[in-house]
This record gives sequence, structure tokens and C-alpha cells, in this order.
Amino acid sequence: MKTVNRIALATTLALAPAQLAWADTADGDALIGKPWEEVVANARGGTVNWFMWGGADNINQYVSDYIGGLVKERYDITLNRVGLNDTVEAVNIVLGETEAGVTDAGSVDMIWINGENFRTMKQADLAFCGYTETLPNNALVDWDNPAIANDFGLAVDGCEVPWSRAQFAFAYDEAATPTPPKSMPALLEWIKANPGQFTYPAPPDFNGSVFVRHVFVHAAGGADNVLGPFDQAKFDEISAETWEILNDLEPHLWREGKTYPNSITALQSLFANREVALYFSYEPSGFGVAVQNGTFPETVRSFGLTDGTIGNTNYTIIPANSPNKAAAMVVSNVLLSGEAQYEKAKPDVWGTSPAIDIARTSAEIQANFASIVRHPSVVSASELAKAALPEMQADWISAVEQGWLENVGR
Amino acid sequence: MSQRPSTGFRTFRAITTVMMVTWLILPLVPLAIWSFSRSWFFPNVLPSAWSLQGWEYALSDRSGVIDALWLTIGISLGATVLSVLAGVPAGRALGMYNFRGKQFIELLILAPAIVPGIAVVLGIHVVFIWLGLANSIFGVILVHLIPTLPYMVLVMSGIFANYDPAFEAQARSLGASPLKTFWYVTVPAIMPGIIVGALFAFLISWSQYILTLLIGGGRVITLPLLLFNFATSGRNDLTGAISVIYIIPGILILILTARHLSGRSGAVGGFGQI
Repeated sequence: MKTVNRIALATTLALAPAQLAWADTADGDALIGKPWEEVVANARGGTVNWFMWGGADNINQYVSDYIGGLVKERYDITLNRVGLNDTVEAVNIVLGETEAGVTDAGSVDMIWINGENFRTMKQADLAFCGYTETLPNNALVDWDNPAIANDFGLAVDGCEVPWSRAQFAFAYDEAATPTPPKSMPALLEWIKANPGQFTYPAPPDFNGSVFVRHVFVHAAGGADNVLGPFDQAKFDEISAETWEILNDLEPHLWREGKTYPNSITALQSLFANREVALYFSYEPSGFGVAVQNGTFPETVRSFGLTDGTIGNTNYTIIPANSPNKAAAMVVSNVLLSGEAQYEKAKPDVWGTSPAIDIARTSAEIQANFASIVRHPSVVSASELAKAALPEMQADWISAVEQGWLENVGR
Repeated sequence: MSQRPSTGFRTFRAITTVMMVTWLILPLVPLAIWSFSRSWFFPNVLPSAWSLQGWEYALSDRSGVIDALWLTIGISLGATVLSVLAGVPAGRALGMYNFRGKQFIELLILAPAIVPGIAVVLGIHVVFIWLGLANSIFGVILVHLIPTLPYMVLVMSGIFANYDPAFEAQARSLGASPLKTFWYVTVPAIMPGIIVGALFAFLISWSQYILTLLIGGGRVITLPLLLFNFATSGRNDLTGAISVIYIIPGILILILTARHLSGRSGAVGGFGQI
């Protein structure tokens, strides 16, 4: 045993990785406000380890091939996309490293992020802030839009860069359900009239939670009543009604509401298998992708609610302990460019809505955007935007999720 | 040593073999079908449209699945070898000797199998950063020992608990050196345990996700990392194809070692208690 231990120790020491030579730009403050050429010069030859949810082949391909190819060719930057099951895993890496005192040689250079995870990063000072103004393409971002300047109600404050916009929408199969309910009151009635045809994933599933928030907003009599900081008295009043509505629905849900799907993927399978008539997602472009890859039938169509659906913006963030900040800034800048945002908006690439103000791009890019032909299964973003609701602050969201578990999902 | 098993025993073995095969193979059938499907809607027995998309993706350079396969094989083999090197002496000590604090040591060794990994993984990450082992393949191999060792040690201590050291004494008295005794007497006697323990170690290392992600820091991409990305995303064709690639090595190893798993062996009477 002793010998073995000694051998193991010796091997450990012998094989311990030598500290690699980084193109070190850990000192982000030194880059802020510098002429862009200087940042680019510092970024050349660097590597960016971008941690992001990796469950969509088309998104992975866009990032690895298109963005990766672009930054390699123009800036000699190597983009290493690291696929995640859940974004919180990347936040935990940064958190662990920072706790261990690794403040300038972290392993995460960029994260695709929003909401709760952004709140964690910002409040724990894990984010590199103040660099957005330095990016030339920041001029394309409309920071006056509160939906961009606030990430789930929390001010961005230059700590992340918007990447895409998303708005909640419902999907249905035209062949099976010719007239789906298009407002929240109509939906609630429709569910009772069509027992077993509807369900939603149990919060805290991301999409299930958003659905419950729509009911919450409906019970509140509009989104205006739940904006701003968390208010316990207001919450108690609105939530009591919300739980009543949802508990009323329960016997009319799929399997009489005895069980809820545990994830949006499970709901997707139920819808694909025609066990339920409605599906929903925060990313409507996914409906078109699902039809293209055969998961959904061709007759799937989608819509927003006339009383509005919740929209959000997702962002890219650079951790404070990233040693490759210059290269990560250059990649962030490329992501914001009109051409990269246009490529991402193509339905056969990803089909997600741009986070930049298209009116600020060149005439050529604007023409490109105008030429995009939407997948017939995906409701148009401008149609959805006509009735858009803001996301509530994270405190509200966690209270709603917790309350659902205690009052409905018990 | 080899007596003819009774008819009852043979029937029992036949039944267990059939059940093993059923449990192992049947769940894989839909997975394999999914990997070739394009549209498969309930209640159809077979997909309405077939496609090679899943396999094209899984075998392409873009997906990185094949690179990850070799890396995962390397890491799991490394973790297995280290598990055997550490687990055999530890199992011998725990199985054959009584000493002060033995129960405490046993508890410590088994703890990783009892405590949920998610609870300690952040602490492990911090320790590995301090040791300079984060973000490297070797660090990932070492961290895999945490979940693999309990099984290795447990199996080996069971083997050694029923092991008769008189065989070794006999060999020594006949003039064999300690090394020769170990090689010609001890190793053959404990071989079934080593094989079973190594099999456990390999498969446990093979399935690690969160430890690999944290300690590898995104630089060490193994198959579970790629697979779990898709397993939660509803792309059953991609998940099916990667899953089949993911499962094959485990099945191969199981088939190769199956004859050692019967619980019958020479010098030891099977797997006893610690």
C-alpha cells in the first residue's frame, strides 16, 4: 500500500501539467476604452473557451463552424465551444475557481447566459463589466430599450452583451386542432373543454415556469402589476388566485393532472406523439427546426397570445477570471455584427431574432434581413412583438416556482 | 475444483443468462431504431421516415464523437489501472487484517459511493485547482478514482476476506520469492476479483459527467459530455446514434469478462463480506 501510494504520488508530480503559456489578457480593465486595433492586436492567437448549452445541433454548428471559422480567419482566434447540459455548470466552474483563488487564469472565457445565472454572476462579482462600450458593434445595440438594458429585470450595467431575443409562443398541429385558443382566457376554457389535451412541464423547468408566469400575469390583471422589485403582499394576493386557476385546471390536464412532464423535452415528445394538442417554447424558431428534422409533422403552426406573451433577451458574458478577455471581446464583437446576426436569423441556420437594432445596420444587411423567408411553422417575430410582456425580476420568478411546487405540484 | 453443476443449477444459469440478455439488449433496440429514424410518432411501431442523419452527425469530424470516444477509452483505462493498483492492496488490508480505525477507513473509502457526488464536486474542484490538476487529462483520470475506488476496494476486500494466505506461506516455504509468490499464487487466486472490480471501475469512469466537466474545464471532452448535451434536447436521432457508440465498449467488455462473472473460481470461495 505504501509503495503504491509513493508511486502514485511520484506519478502525480511527474505528470502534473506545466502551466501553459497564455496570451494573457486577464487584466480586463487595461483593455477598456483602448482603441479597438489595440484590443484586436492583444487578441490575436488567443483561445476563447465558450461554455454554452449544447443541446441543439444547428446552434452548435453555427457557433463552431460559422463563428469559429470567422474569428480564426480574421483574427487567428481559436474558438473552443464547450457544450453544457445546463448553464449553471459553467457558473459553478467560475465560482469554484474564484473561491480557490484563481482570479486571473480561469478556464471559462465566455458563457451564453441570462436570468438567474446572470444574477448569480453579477451579484457575486464574477462578471467582467464595463467593456461593452469598447466594442465597435456596441453601436448597433439599442441600450435605450429596457428589454435589452435589463436581463430579467436586473440592470445589465455593461456586464454582458445581448446576443438574441426570444419570445414565448404556442405551437399546434393544424391538421388536428384547426382553431387553437389564442388568448389566456380562451386557453383556460379550451383546456376544460378538451380534457387530456394540454399539460405543461413542472416548474422549475424553464419553459414550464414561463407558462405558469403567463397564468400569474393573467391573474394579476396585466404585467404592469408585477414589474419592479418583489412585493410580498402583492405576490400573496396574485398567487392565491393563480394557484386556484391552476388547481381548477388540473383534472382537465393530460392524465388528469396526476403527473406533469418533468421537462420541456417530455412535453415535446407528448406533442410529437399527438398525446397533447399544444406545445410551447420560449424559442419559436425551434418549431421550424423540429419540423425540418422530422420531430414534428409538417402541419405544425404557431401563435402568440392576444393578451401578450413574455419575451427575453439572452446574452454573452465574460467571467472576471478569464485570462483571454481581449479574444473574448473580439468574439463578442463579431457576434454583434450585422452579418453574424443575419446568419443566425436565417431559418435554416437557427432562425432566432437578432439582439441588435437592424435599422442601425448597413443597407445591405437590412436588405438581407428583409429577404428572410420564415419557416411556415414559426410565427413571425414582428407578429409576436405586437403583444410582448416583459420578464419579471428573478425574485418574483423564484417565488412563483416555489409557490407552484407547494400549492399545485404537491 | 470443477465438478459438474447439477441440473437445477444449470437451469438457473440458463434463466439468468436469458434475463441478462433481455435486460441488456431489449432497451437498446429502440435506441438503435431511433438512431436511424427521422419521424417516429406514437402509436407507430416503427418510424414513418428513416434517415442516416444521426449517424452522419455522430461520425462526422464536426461532432467530435470519435475523438471523444478514443479519449474516453484512454481515460477510463487509465482510471481502471490506477484503481487496480490502489484497490488491490487496500482490499487486502481491509479484507485480511484487523487494525485500529478499520471501520473508519472503510467508511472513508466507501463515502464517495454513499455521498451524492453533486454535494462534494465543487469542493473537489477547488482542491484540484490548488493541486494544479484542473484542466488536464491526468487530473480527470485522478478525479475519476474518487467514484471508482469504493467499488474496486469493496470487491477486493470481499475476495481477500475469503482468501487463504496459507497458499502464500506454502509457496514461500517451497522457496518462491515474494514477487514470484505474488505473481504465481496471489494474482491467479484474486484474478476474478480484479476483473470484476476493474469492470466496475471502467464502467463508472466511463459514465462520469460532472466531474469530467469541472476538472476538465471544457478542455477534456469525453463521450458523456457530448451525449448528455443531446439527451436532454429531444433530438432522439442524434442521442440514439451517440448512445449506441457510447454503449458498445461497455457491452464488449461485459461479453469478454462474462465468464469471470459467474462467481465460481478456484482458490477463493466467491465474494464474501468484508
